[in-house]
Amino acid sequence: MPDWGRTTLELMVQELQHPVRLDESFDRRVMVRVRRIYAERRHRGIIGWLGAAASISRRPAWAAALAAGVVAVVSLAVVKRTTNTVAATGQAIPVQFVLVAPDARSVAVVGDFNNWGLNDTALVAENHHGVWSVSAPVHTGVHRYAFLVNGKQWVADPTAPRAADDDFGQPSSALVVEASTQ
Amino acid sequence: MESSDAALVARVLHGEVNAYSALVSRYRDKYARYAVHMLGNREDAEEALQDAFTRAYRSLARCEDPERFGAWLFRILVNRCRTSGARRVRRGQTFVHDETALLNASEEHPAEQTMWREEIERALGELSADQREAFLLKYVEELGYDEMAEITGVGVSALKMRVMRACDRLRVLLREVHSA
Amino acid sequence: MRMRTASSLLALLLVGSALRTAEAQDPRLSNRLDAPTRKALSAIVDSARAQGIPVEPLMEKVYQGLAMGADGSRIVVAVRSLTFEMGNAHRVLGAVATADELKAAASAVHAGVPAVELGKMKKQSGLRRSLTLPFTVLADIVSRGVPVAAATNAIKSLVGAGAKDKEISDFQRNVSVDIEKGAQPAAAAETRAKVVPTPKAENREHE
Repeated sequence: MPDWGRTTLELMVQELQHPVRLDESFDRRVMVRVRRIYAERRHRGIIGWLGAAASISRRPAWAAALAAGVVAVVSLAVVKRTTNTVAATGQAIPVQFVLVAPDARSVAVVGDFNNWGLNDTALVAENHHGVWSVSAPVHTGVHRYAFLVNGKQWVADPTAPRAADDDFGQPSSALVVEASTQ
Repeated sequence: MESSDAALVARVLHGEVNAYSALVSRYRDKYARYAVHMLGNREDAEEALQDAFTRAYRSLARCEDPERFGAWLFRILVNRCRTSGARRVRRGQTFVHDETALLNASEEHPAEQTMWREEIERALGELSADQREAFLLKYVEELGYDEMAEITGVGVSALKMRVMRACDRLRVLLREVHSA
Repeated sequence: MRMRTASSLLALLLVGSALRTAEAQDPRLSNRLDAPTRKALSAIVDSARAQGIPVEPLMEKVYQGLAMGADGSRIVVAVRSLTFEMGNAHRVLGAVATADELKAAASAVHAGVPAVELGKMKKQSGLRRSLTLPFTVLADIVSRGVPVAAATNAIKSLVGAGAKDKEISDFQRNVSVDIEKGAQPAAAAETRAKVVPTPKAENREHE
């Protein structure tokens, strides 16, 4: 009887050692994340410097102008997170979606709120120096959505909770828009 | 001439973020193999590998020996796969083989090759996560026990025990297949 | 018997028409779903409606699958899975749960949270407080690696202490940042849950 033990294990290892190749889009996906971290760190670095500058009694006019510009950029991310408390049930509220993607050629927002329509021109984001943003009316409720970059790459919103479903092998995010409790 | 890991790490830390893509390309395929066999499917493996690269970038300044960036990255990946492995069991999903196997299947006997790959992946899936990790690191990635201890944080004698038990279990599983 | 058969038949016709109505309004469904897939989906949608499960999230899942290029069989699996998860949520949360709560609860179940834990949270929070956001955050932090028990305990303690949605949203953001910086997921969740200011905690401070 052949020594299945040793020979089979060796064959198994030989098979497992075959290389596994990932395509180049993997590199792009990693670099999107990496560049986002880089951009966030740069913003925090600017804000930290401004925080120090504010403590100096005489502030030059250009520092105030720069502060205004930076606050506007930071606000884009903050607004996205805020749970809207103004709308009544069933109403659509404008929600701003923001994605930092300096290398993208196009960015669209697609989700439950537009039945995942790929040709809905109202949700095509505008590019401002690599910061893509679009406002869209979203009804109260919980919605899954994702950014579609360059018409083919699905990207979750890095500033939003993740949607736990991985049914289609693509990332997506969760947005909760609630009615006012006031 | 290709830049060393240390040179690339230095460039990234000096603000040249795009230099990081060279490190990604360098280690992507090498570590994808481990992640795919550890986690049982390509999707989870890609996610784990992406996370590992991202974490490595975030804490790049803490890489004590940039010349050994690859080993440091691998340790992050191994830890990340442990978390993914635990999640996979909780969801009750079965271990499935990597679709790449179909592409890499022998042209002469594709069906047999595919079946063999499936049996291998199924047998790997029967191991505990600890045993699978130890087996893959020892025999597939061909690391020494000292290296394995450094990466996993587990003692050498415990690792040897896990490898031995993994081999014993695999022999039984594969013998069952052949005698069926 | 005849009355029951007639009303069952009517219900089937009405429910089956949900998919046909959607098909009439959106050619994607008829153009890109083959007949076996449409048949399978109709059966799932029928069954969901009969159980009292909202159908709209199931249709959203179909659209998501189409947009992401999934084939028919994968869409069917996803919709069936969502129906199962929403059914579990519906059983433990009861008729008082809103459609959004069920959708968010299904997400948490999908991430690995036992449905019974969601039921306990609903009981604890009472009827007046929506748990849509807490369930969404629970699914998120579990998917980031926080063990189910630790994540459930963290969200339970926040809800039990009266934390508002804004505070739970901030909690989610802080935990995700901590994890990205290398923190152990369980430790991040446990630590951040302790420091969230809640009405009950603030009242204790003023005593």
